Amino acid sequence: MKFDVAVVGSGLAALIATRRLQLAGRKPVLVWPGLSSLYFVYATVDVLGYADATTTEPVEHPDAAVEELIARAPDHPYARAGSSALHEGTTMFTDWLEAAGFRWQGSLDRNLLLPTATGSPKPSCLMPVSMGAGDLRRPDPIIFCGFEGYEDFVPELAASNLSRSWGRSVRAIRVRLPRFEPGRQVSSIDLARSFEDAAFRQDVSGRIRAAVGSADDGARIGIPAVLGLTHDSEVHARFQAELGYAVFEIPTLPPSVLALRLFDRLRKHLQETGVELIWNAPAHAAELVDGRCARLYLKSAGREQPIEARAYVLALEDAVDGAMRAGTHTIQDPFFHLALSRSSVPTERTDESLFRPQPFASVGYRVTDRLQPAADDGRPLASNVFIAGGAIGGYDPTGTKSRGGLAIATGYRAAEEAMAA
Amino acid sequence: MISEDIEMVTDTVEEQAPVEACTKCTACNTVCPVARTTEIFRGPKYLGPESERYRDPHEAAVTAGLDLCSGCKLCEVTCPSQVTIQEYIRRAQNKGAEEKGRTLRDWVLGHTRLLSAFGSMTAPLANFGNRNPLVRWGMEKAIGIHRNRPLPRYQFRTFERWFKRHNPAPPLAGERRVGARRKVAYFYGCWVNYNERRLGEQVVAILERNGIEVIVPKQQCCGIPAVVNSNMDLARKYGGENVRRLARLPEDVDIIASSTSCGLMLKHDYDHLLEIPGAAPVGGRVFDICEYLWALHESGELDEHFQPVPTKVLYHAPCHLKSHGIGYPAMRLLSLIPGVELQEVDEGCCGISGTFGVKVEKYDLSMKIGSRLFEAVKAAGSDSVLADCETCRMQVEHGTGAQSAHPVEILARAYGRG
Amino acid sequence: MPDTTTGVVVIGGGSTGAGVLRDLAMRGIDAVLVEKGDLASGTTGRSHGLLHSGGRYCVNDLAAAIECVEEGRILRRIARTTIEDTGGYFVSVTEDDQDWEPRFVEGCAKAGITCERIAVEDARRREPNLSKHVRTVFWLPEDGHLDPFYLVVGNVESARRRGATIRTYTEVTGFLREGKRVTGVVTRDAISGEETTIGCQAVINATGAWSGFVAKLLDVEVKVVPMKGVMVVLSHRLAHAAINRCHKPGDGDIVVPGLSVAILGTTARRVPHPEVLPIEWDEVKLMIEEGALMLDGVTTARAMRAYAGVRPLYDLGAEAEGREMSRNFAVIDHEQRDGVAGFTSIVGGKVTTYRLMAERVTDLVARRLGVTTACTTADVPLNDRADELDQLRHRPAQMGVPKPHGDDDYLKPLVCECELVRPQDVEPWFDDPAVRGLEDIRRRTRAGMGPCQAAICSYRLAGRLVTERGQAGPIATRAMADFLETRWRGVRHVFWGSQLRQAQVSAGLHMELFNLDRQLMADA
Repeated sequence: MKFDVAVVGSGLAALIATRRLQLAGRKPVLVWPGLSSLYFVYATVDVLGYADATTTEPVEHPDAAVEELIARAPDHPYARAGSSALHEGTTMFTDWLEAAGFRWQGSLDRNLLLPTATGSPKPSCLMPVSMGAGDLRRPDPIIFCGFEGYEDFVPELAASNLSRSWGRSVRAIRVRLPRFEPGRQVSSIDLARSFEDAAFRQDVSGRIRAAVGSADDGARIGIPAVLGLTHDSEVHARFQAELGYAVFEIPTLPPSVLALRLFDRLRKHLQETGVELIWNAPAHAAELVDGRCARLYLKSAGREQPIEARAYVLALEDAVDGAMRAGTHTIQDPFFHLALSRSSVPTERTDESLFRPQPFASVGYRVTDRLQPAADDGRPLASNVFIAGGAIGGYDPTGTKSRGGLAIATGYRAAEEAMAA
Repeated sequence: MISEDIEMVTDTVEEQAPVEACTKCTACNTVCPVARTTEIFRGPKYLGPESERYRDPHEAAVTAGLDLCSGCKLCEVTCPSQVTIQEYIRRAQNKGAEEKGRTLRDWVLGHTRLLSAFGSMTAPLANFGNRNPLVRWGMEKAIGIHRNRPLPRYQFRTFERWFKRHNPAPPLAGERRVGARRKVAYFYGCWVNYNERRLGEQVVAILERNGIEVIVPKQQCCGIPAVVNSNMDLARKYGGENVRRLARLPEDVDIIASSTSCGLMLKHDYDHLLEIPGAAPVGGRVFDICEYLWALHESGELDEHFQPVPTKVLYHAPCHLKSHGIGYPAMRLLSLIPGVELQEVDEGCCGISGTFGVKVEKYDLSMKIGSRLFEAVKAAGSDSVLADCETCRMQVEHGTGAQSAHPVEILARAYGRG
Repeated sequence: MPDTTTGVVVIGGGSTGAGVLRDLAMRGIDAVLVEKGDLASGTTGRSHGLLHSGGRYCVNDLAAAIECVEEGRILRRIARTTIEDTGGYFVSVTEDDQDWEPRFVEGCAKAGITCERIAVEDARRREPNLSKHVRTVFWLPEDGHLDPFYLVVGNVESARRRGATIRTYTEVTGFLREGKRVTGVVTRDAISGEETTIGCQAVINATGAWSGFVAKLLDVEVKVVPMKGVMVVLSHRLAHAAINRCHKPGDGDIVVPGLSVAILGTTARRVPHPEVLPIEWDEVKLMIEEGALMLDGVTTARAMRAYAGVRPLYDLGAEAEGREMSRNFAVIDHEQRDGVAGFTSIVGGKVTTYRLMAERVTDLVARRLGVTTACTTADVPLNDRADELDQLRHRPAQMGVPKPHGDDDYLKPLVCECELVRPQDVEPWFDDPAVRGLEDIRRRTRAGMGPCQAAICSYRLAGRLVTERGQAGPIATRAMADFLETRWRGVRHVFWGSQLRQAQVSAGLHMELFNLDRQLMADA
């Protein structure tokens, strides 16, 4: 199959690159290796939450902090992509969200501090409006509300932790859900579907109001992110009105409804606007001819399917979506079979503590200034291939909470380069 | 040391033992149309890889919840680790059926070809019966086929019979030939044979218009109704017959299917799920009709003298098409035809999943799954929806009242047929 | 005056200590078990879980083999719910010394072990994963899988119902003495640091590899050689029966399918201290390579973690080292040997013979206390009372592969989806003061022992520390982190393939969804 530009991936970097190409009037095809990327679980866009992996002081102004980071670390993917890619990419992304019917908030100027399901404040840059009321820079009291039988959000844990670190009024309540008999498993998807129903919502609102009592007039209520399966935040708006309190959603253990809303809709919007998607076709080899990638091979049903394009954006994120495969000593990329890392023993890939930066998390491609995959001597391996997202090596977005912003910046820049290739 | 290099083998762990690869990311549950629609389904992650760790060939199957898996395979399409989720569910369900027996209804639905052959032979009567409320009430009570589910209309004259008398169109005068004349074998499937001969005629005409010789080898049901009705032995029997016949075709003969589900069985499931010997090389030669025509286009062999077809239609991509991993060849192909305005409605699974939505206990669920698609179709204000799968077309027509056709229909019109 | 008094203090919460506690309780002797960590957190919980038929010892150590035969039969009566009757194959592969086989057959006959030679093709029909290297196969139906956690918990719970008490995370730091007689122990709570004293008439040192350290507090010597063994856990069973190499016992020659996993074992390396148990890559690699000689699929299976345990080999003074040393046990009467009255050690042995060890030491101590009640532990099942060990629901009397939920409870909630652990399996343990951390919950329920290694259930369990125990958030969060860190210590050694991918998902959850790294830094 022949295409203009092939973008491989299903995460934010892939979506951004595809959108950029589409807006520029190009004909991208999105090769979809299966839905996964790590920000799927929380589905906010974190641009830079902490300046480095060890500080506990959250970044307040991500744009300024990224500029500092670029000045400090010229090899960092933010530096490679350039701050203009982050700015233009973010603008494109927020415009896109609006065009696709989302209601989001936030800007590069300022991080919000949002409580997580363990009650830890976490800096995020862009998020659905249904999460915004959780901002801890606002003083209003917080009530975490959990649902009986729903295992994946424990309001008491979140409240106890947050009340200690935040120093303002926080408490936890729990309500019994209508329609779900006790002792039965409740998934976030079941809840999200139920919350689309007005009668269910109203019933729950009544129960929450009763549990809150009259003491907390100015309080806001944090609930697990289950307010509807659709992306438009309409269920949130209605529920807030019905309840009479500000409500904010908190991301939970998977299945993540926030991710479902975001990635479902953006993918569909691309399709609605004419982008072709190749589902179920993990890409597993690239053929190089004269310093260019001549074709990629997809593992389609029954046979290998070659696809040819003028340029390729490889926007896989990590080992989870197949950006790399780890043997006992070598971590390889699936396209060029480069050894991205070698270790004499597997433990070398890890830190003794789970909660410190892990060497394996920064394994990825070495890239050129144009985000092309580079050979050991620094020269591009293929002049028409560009890497975006987590597959770029040398950095670990986990500790700095920067996965989303990096996906946007590198996805945008890779698309620009692909157009020039 | 006789052991193999551990570096080499662990690199390919996911391919050799896909159940091992599940990382609990739960992406499958977020796309599962059944899990999205009802809380009585625990979802593919639990029923697939999680339960698979506990399954043992020596122990009785635990089948709770398995029958609610409709077989759409969106979980597998979505799994970033290529866990063959649906195959685990199917195998476990099949084992349960072997131990506990099948219902008459599931037996019958697994034998679609027999049923269709009978329906076709008795077409006027069968069609009358299938539309008679009293008969349908009886069918629901007796074997559990939901009374509101429209059943396909049978035609007395089968595609097989039509093809036998069909005279291939002579090559067009002055036609430019690249290399040898192409020859394909058409796997028409039960639907074309008994219910929509016209589609088969169009496929043949389009291929012949492009100077391709079409042959129709003797064939059996692809077996997918048997697979989804927990009768894998039957599916293996059908599949084995097909593989034996198709494997005998000369090597340069490609195999064309016009149903995405039949095509997927031939391409992938015969080898992977049913483990039919010799299935892999046959599967490698199978093409979806639109996939094949697009390949002709890319190699400059497609006759693109299309008449304009001024039409505004919607396109619904069947779930099983997504499993093919070939993108949307029908949309690409139709974009070559002047006048065609094609809009994709991606609202996921239509809900019917072959025989799933026919069953009395699944009908409502099936319609609920499809409701998002139905609403989108209605909202688009179009009365025509294209889909490459026959049961999707049935479901869309039933759920929206719109007309539904295979994309080939438009192509046939562009070639002046139809 | 000691803070509390009892009849006998048992030191050590492994299988031996638990067995002793139960034996004492069944003879009507008031007893307290003190354990410096959790139950089964030392040698027992880190065994590979093979219930020995005796085949492994029948050539080199006939006495040990005979004990295994007898105790195996007893355990099948009294500890039904902890045993899977898998049977075992002893296989020799192409490179094995052929002289071993006749000696093995002879040893089995002498020890009274049922052993049947079967054709390789027949074996392969029952065990399709047997590798192409397998040359001869013996079938030993009395090999099995013994769940070490449930064994200890079952003994302890049985003893508790008879009035015994346990104190976990309670380390013995000294003894109360009157002259040469031991009259009690001084203990320190490992978490609060609080010191208490327990007065008693006798102390039984059942601390296995730690026996020497406890004895040293009384200036008496107990020589135990700590011998490390490394094991690798694979994410599914791979085989129906235990697979042993039919050769002189060596490294990496056992594959034990148990519950939802298979365990590859093991190595034997002398270590300086029972708590210094480094896992070396060459050991992990060896387990996989040697396992692959016997079973196909070992190299491609998902290794979930590696762990190391320590065998308490009792130094009988012989020159023997490692596996040459006896797996027999000894009761050391310190009154007779060292003149220290009221103190007895039970050393050596193995999990399979824990009950016999307990019986022997309890016989001696009971006699000293003037109690004449006979031992009944060989006859009374652990779950002799209604609803006992209800938490074993997934591993019911007819032990076998744990089952996904059946029709009735298929839609019931699960706390740990990998290991099918339900809320009602974990919740009672939150009321048990002996349970301190989430690892303790894991040992009693298997929560967190599946492929994702607690990535998901750690949150749900930490939540229960707040809701069920009323613990403060930061303490529950720390417990969650500790649980994950403990799992991580094992995961790091098999960090390739799916486990690396899994770690990325887990890191995404904990660091990016929960921001746990920052929370821990802020709390610290």
